[in-house]
Amino acid sequence: MSGHLTLDGVAYPFQSGQTVLEVARENGIKIPALCYHRKTGPAGRCRVCIVEVEGQAGLPTSCNLEAKDGMVVYTNTEAVLEVRRSVVNLLLANGEHNCLSCEQNGRCELQDAAYDLGIEIPAFTIIGPEVEIDDSSEMIVNDRRKCIQCGICVAACNNVVVNEVLGMGQRGFDSRIVCDLDVPMAESTCVQCGECVQLCPVGAFIEKKAIGQGRSWELETVDTTCPYCGVGCQLTLHVDTNANRIVRVTGREVVPNDGMLCVKGRFGYEFPSSPNRLTQPLIRKNGELEPVSWEEALDFTAERIKKIVEEHGPDVFSAFGSGRTTNESNYAISKFTRAVIKTNNVDHCART
Amino acid sequence: MKPDVRAQILDLAATYPTPQAALLSALQMVQEAEGGRLTTEDLSDVARLLDVPLGTVYATVSYYTMLNLEPVGKYHLQLDTNISAKLVGALDLLAHIEQALGISAGETTPDGLFTLSTVEDLGACGTCPVLQVNDRYYEKMTAERFDELLTSLKQGVMPDWKTEGNWGTECNILLARRGKPDSTALAGYVADGGYQALEKALTLSPAEIVQMVKDSGLRGRGGAGFPAGVKWSFLPKGSTKPVYLVCNADEGEPGTFKDRQIMEFDPHLLLEGMAVSGYAVGAKQGYIYIRGEFAWIADILERAVAEAREAGKLGNNILGRGVEFDVRVVRGAGAYVCGEETALIESLEGKRGNPRLRPPYPAASGVFGCPTIVNNVETLACVPYIVLEGAEAFSQIGTPNNTGPKLFGVSGHVNKPGVYEFPLGVPLAKILEAAGGVVGNLKAVIVGGLSTQILTADECRDLTMDYDTCAEYGTGLGSGGIIVMNDTVEIPEIALRTIEFYAHESCGQCTPCRQGSTTIKQMLKRVVDGKGSSEDLENVLQLCKTIMGNTLCPMGDAFSMPIEAMLLKYRAEFDSLLPDGSLVR
Repeated sequence: MSGHLTLDGVAYPFQSGQTVLEVARENGIKIPALCYHRKTGPAGRCRVCIVEVEGQAGLPTSCNLEAKDGMVVYTNTEAVLEVRRSVVNLLLANGEHNCLSCEQNGRCELQDAAYDLGIEIPAFTIIGPEVEIDDSSEMIVNDRRKCIQCGICVAACNNVVVNEVLGMGQRGFDSRIVCDLDVPMAESTCVQCGECVQLCPVGAFIEKKAIGQGRSWELETVDTTCPYCGVGCQLTLHVDTNANRIVRVTGREVVPNDGMLCVKGRFGYEFPSSPNRLTQPLIRKNGELEPVSWEEALDFTAERIKKIVEEHGPDVFSAFGSGRTTNESNYAISKFTRAVIKTNNVDHCART
Repeated sequence: MKPDVRAQILDLAATYPTPQAALLSALQMVQEAEGGRLTTEDLSDVARLLDVPLGTVYATVSYYTMLNLEPVGKYHLQLDTNISAKLVGALDLLAHIEQALGISAGETTPDGLFTLSTVEDLGACGTCPVLQVNDRYYEKMTAERFDELLTSLKQGVMPDWKTEGNWGTECNILLARRGKPDSTALAGYVADGGYQALEKALTLSPAEIVQMVKDSGLRGRGGAGFPAGVKWSFLPKGSTKPVYLVCNADEGEPGTFKDRQIMEFDPHLLLEGMAVSGYAVGAKQGYIYIRGEFAWIADILERAVAEAREAGKLGNNILGRGVEFDVRVVRGAGAYVCGEETALIESLEGKRGNPRLRPPYPAASGVFGCPTIVNNVETLACVPYIVLEGAEAFSQIGTPNNTGPKLFGVSGHVNKPGVYEFPLGVPLAKILEAAGGVVGNLKAVIVGGLSTQILTADECRDLTMDYDTCAEYGTGLGSGGIIVMNDTVEIPEIALRTIEFYAHESCGQCTPCRQGSTTIKQMLKRVVDGKGSSEDLENVLQLCKTIMGNTLCPMGDAFSMPIEAMLLKYRAEFDSLLPDGSLVR
């Protein structure tokens, strides 16, 4: 059933199957929802996205509230704010929700919610046992003190990327994120795809290498295509322009990867600024690699290829394209090999 | 893993649409075979066998209190310390046991013989204090009886003590066969006219039975009191998916011990109710999800199912009429929340007992994503009477809109705690009289299980026990678990014990329940310890107000309603615990 629903006094159209939260977000109306992500779906766990609906008792969660024609919804009434404030205060009551040196500062959904509700100091304190940080993994730190038990990482690991590593262990206040049979992440079957890092709404899953390397507002973002293989995952580089260095990589939620990346795409980003990177052609002369001009390098290479093919025939030649070059370059390699050299010996690292 | 256990698990998994549904049972089987504890290797083996991710296996195993990741002694002594037990001296008994064993709760004796744990309500409130040793209950325990038990256990013998609880019936429907010898056997049930309702039902159309149950006015006996026939009619029409009928036998609400009376002493009454109901709703498979602690009752049910199947009362050709309906008994593993119907369904599917986000409701999408009806034991046990005697006869019992017989479990400060069957609408005073009267001076009563609001002695004087009247009195009939307290009881302590229970049982999914229950627990603990402040009490009230109605499942209401009521009605008792000078009103 498509139609119109009213949000805070303004009517908005919606499509069949959309939830109130989706319609609100689509139209720039802010409803905090800490356990909702489009990819993991409504979970109803955080209870922050509650709204008031005319003619309906209670305060339903908007993440799973199906939009209905003629529905009149209020997102910020005093009743809503009172409960929302209570819930956010409860989330802040234990753990370490200190923003000062948190990597998530500026892009934390809990921080945003607290800010919007005007919560400076949490209203309650829960004294709990010390919760351990799992920093065993090479790329990912799981700081359980910051976890708000939203369950997004577990849903993402099991249902989105289907790596099936994370689980929610124990229950109640003792619930915590575990890897496999509660082993350190480094000893688990985790492949460090980092989907948990990307979807964590708070600072409970962070990139280890990015710690202390710059906060979100200090970094510039550059959208690009992952150079590692032929899939063409879309990603965003978060760049410290002063240091000319990539600090972190996030997946873009577009075709083909919908935000997902592999360990290489997400964490293998140092090579552009590596001092070992080749910056000019080299030719080995008398056993030593020496810098030469492009003209010399190309002439030398063309001559050698021509000679070898003349002497031994085209089938001694083969070319390997690379996932890290563009489609156009790979096309040119294929054309050159087949049309110029006249052999079919052409292959590609991302062929499998 | 032992080959026979492995084979059993595989056989079981093959009977489910997904192998994961066998996970909980598999873990239970392996634990039993491996000496009461699951090792990492065991978990990996089960994970591989059922093709379930390791993280999911750990999430499941660590959720349930009856699955042990740590070694336990040869005898695992588990003492119920919930409110009904506390009222009759469970904590004194605990002190005695700790002294006798030389260990504290949570520890194992150095010889590895005994592990002592305190546990939440074991569904034996009328026969408290109750000590569970491995899979056996020792009820009405005293220090002397414990010493006797200990001597026996040290000799390697688990005594076979039968404990008879008090009971009484005015209706002779649900407890009609309670006192009969060998009341669990099919022959006796049939001799007493059993399975005639099933005979009659099969001459009627399913729709006619649904209508009868609607007309009878039968309301769900699990606690919510929703009309059973109406619930049945929510099943989607024309669905091609199989329909499941699930019997909720997870009886865990503190103060409640009624369903076990039916299952333990008249299992065929339940099975007949299920067969008739299954036929009415078009289900071919029924499940009885019974709390894992009731192991011997699950055994009784399994024997009854086998007998009924053998006699053609269940199976693929019931009474030779080509009707198919069978029942399987599934054991829980220690989680109060699994009494909530969607959590129960998750647990049935071999997962953590986390309640589901609704909609969809089980009638549309329940077990394995198929239309499912979940009814309480007592509800289903009412069905044979309705079919046999007619909706009219059933609705004559009780009061309008509150029809039929009801089991009331009475525990706490009464002379004859036990379970009593009366028509709905019976005066509370009459039930208390049946239970031998109050010991001492009545102070307060919780009438519908721990999740309902406490009533003062004055408030409950003229109360009649039915859904509507209880609601008028600002409480709920709930499960009919009546906890009686005399004036030796301090309400702040009861409030603390209440919230300790709910904090322990919170599944942890949603913020208000997980964080709120623990916050309230710590605040009330401060108050009871004489270290609280009036701000703590105001915060508790404010939290109760904002939690009520705002959790994923009814659990938030289940603790915020009673805690709020205790605090509002007995505020002076709470205030008197505050340190001098901290009372700012």
